[in-house]
Amino acid sequence: MREETQMTIDFGIKNAPRKFAKTLAAGIALGMLALPGAAAAQERVKVEWWHALGGRLGEVVEKLVTDFNGSQDQYEVVAVHKGNYEENMAAMVAAYRVGQQPTIIQAAERGFMTMLNSGAVVPVPTLMEEQGHDVDWNDFIAPVSGFFLVDGVPAALPFNSSTPIFWYNRDMFKEAGFDAPGETWQEVEKQLYAIKEQGVSECSMALANDFFWSLIENYAALHDQPYGTLANGFDGLGTEFVFNKSPLVVGQLERLSKWMDDEVLQIAGQGLSPEQLFTSGTCATYVASTAAHAGIGSGAQFDWSATFLPHEEGVEPKNSTIGGGALWVLQGKSDEEYAGAAAFIDFVASPETQVWWSKQTGYVPVTTTAYNALKSEGYFKENPTREIAILQLSRGEPTENSRGFRFGNHNQSMQLLVEEIQGVWTGQKTAQEALDNAARRGNEILRQYERLHASQ
Amino acid sequence: MQVDPFGAREIFVGFANFAQLLGSPDYRQSVFFTLWFTVIQAVVTIALALLFAFATDFVIRGRGLYKSVILMPYAIAPVISGVLWAFLFNPAVGPLAQFIQSLGIPWDPNRRPFDAQLLVIVASVWKHICYDYIFLVAALLAVPQSLLEAAKLDGARPVRRFFTISLPLVTPTIFFLMVMNVVYGLFETFGIIDAVTRGGPAGATNTLVYKVYQDGFVQLNLGSSAAQSVILMIIAILFTVLQFRALERRVNYQV
Repeated sequence: MREETQMTIDFGIKNAPRKFAKTLAAGIALGMLALPGAAAAQERVKVEWWHALGGRLGEVVEKLVTDFNGSQDQYEVVAVHKGNYEENMAAMVAAYRVGQQPTIIQAAERGFMTMLNSGAVVPVPTLMEEQGHDVDWNDFIAPVSGFFLVDGVPAALPFNSSTPIFWYNRDMFKEAGFDAPGETWQEVEKQLYAIKEQGVSECSMALANDFFWSLIENYAALHDQPYGTLANGFDGLGTEFVFNKSPLVVGQLERLSKWMDDEVLQIAGQGLSPEQLFTSGTCATYVASTAAHAGIGSGAQFDWSATFLPHEEGVEPKNSTIGGGALWVLQGKSDEEYAGAAAFIDFVASPETQVWWSKQTGYVPVTTTAYNALKSEGYFKENPTREIAILQLSRGEPTENSRGFRFGNHNQSMQLLVEEIQGVWTGQKTAQEALDNAARRGNEILRQYERLHASQ
Repeated sequence: MQVDPFGAREIFVGFANFAQLLGSPDYRQSVFFTLWFTVIQAVVTIALALLFAFATDFVIRGRGLYKSVILMPYAIAPVISGVLWAFLFNPAVGPLAQFIQSLGIPWDPNRRPFDAQLLVIVASVWKHICYDYIFLVAALLAVPQSLLEAAKLDGARPVRRFFTISLPLVTPTIFFLMVMNVVYGLFETFGIIDAVTRGGPAGATNTLVYKVYQDGFVQLNLGSSAAQSVILMIIAILFTVLQFRALERRVNYQV
């Protein structure tokens, strides 16, 4: 009994200062509201932007934001690095549901459908029009517009666009007696085995973490193989995965699996990034995004170069597909914040920023104006590897199979695909079984998505 | 309930999420792995902690150092220790991995599911030994000295004394630790798994908790993730109830 009384008293005392603090805080908040613009006029409008670029790329983003903030005195963009694309997305979704979302969010190409059908975004063209900015949406280079345009206008601003290219250690290739990597997978295979067998390097190729994108999805696009029905999902939500029915794609996975068994191809694993394996001179080649220019350019101590992705013998390769992120504007923000967001997007889309951004990072210049500006200053003559991505993206006439991928919840089916492919590497499944499983499980996800979005 | 990540669309699907989970082989694989992972982890952790605690009395020099070495892992954040383990045992660059390979034992947690499972178990045991150790040292100190001395006079050697006197007297602590270890294995090994294997290869180390996170927060499949949380809760309750019923009878609370 005595104890209970004691406790009540304790609680009473403990709560008293807290209550006081609350009242005080409320009072201050009210006071701030009541004060007319006096302080607010000096204060810049803060526009929050959550992005997914870390490492060297993160530094470039910081510089970009500082430059924007220095270029005017009305808005202040606050860039927050929330982790990788998935973490960024999850953080944004959680924040959105409680009304704490940022104004601008960078989402990967894989989240395109999720964002597009979310009902949570303000289409960038609408925003720009409302805020009185004039943007020429026809200026985007074809591969970018082919993916991002919905009914002629983009739903988001293509920001960091990339495509995978073939990185190689030229010193190692020379040592093994080759000038450059071959153009076909067959030639490349011989070279990789030669590098291993001649003892030039223990590891001929490092497997990128996003290999499903660079070596599977882009392989399908490059070889004009259907990845899903209905033009890879461009023509409707009823799309189904069919990559398991392409002998070429199955063959590609078998090839990778064989390389891995022969220790020509290596997984970096946790605790180590595959890019480090290449940059440190351990592995001779690496298939990854052109954005690796930022890291490899500043880190590699050897004669590195890059070239186009290999293709099968006797096949005319198509274009590769676009990857990377776009800037989406979310609903539920104030008018000033939208004005700030529009100003920032205008700044990012300007040719000057595009040229600078592309040089700093290795990402593709997304507008024709920026591309031409880089060309006319002779930038690609000095840095030929910088042009590979854009040439590869615009190679040939895009087909239904090479335009890109629009699958609902593509992130989920991609994770499944990776899990199934790991089953091949552990020797539990054949390539065909793994791809069949991945397609079957992926289709369940597509149907789920279709059901949920049927009313559209 | 199926829901889009932004909460704008929802369909009520009854038990479809549960049906889909129970029908999926990878979910069953995950349940299976979680169970044996938890049990092995709990038993090994307690056994080792008991051994170390028993040995404490026999460490004459540097007992303080001995204790702090054992207690250290508890002070390291799970993700950091996970990264350390992943790095040390990385087949390409890890010194310990290269040592194992030089012994002629194939080692590749990226491609051999068993290696990955072993690595996760070792890492989580290492992380949790200190917790059990503290409790067991305290419990062993509480064993009445008079009983031990009586046994000593009767000629019982240290090991015999331990098994016939100390061990029965610390069973309440062991039982408590068993429950705690199971809860740890089920829920708190998340950080280690995320850093060491990310649930791979091919879902070999995908525990139920990690799957809830993967499906819910990475893939944004909230309906399925919520269903998994419910199942996980049921499993945790079942486990604890079972332990109380099966083990508690043998626990001796009387000194």
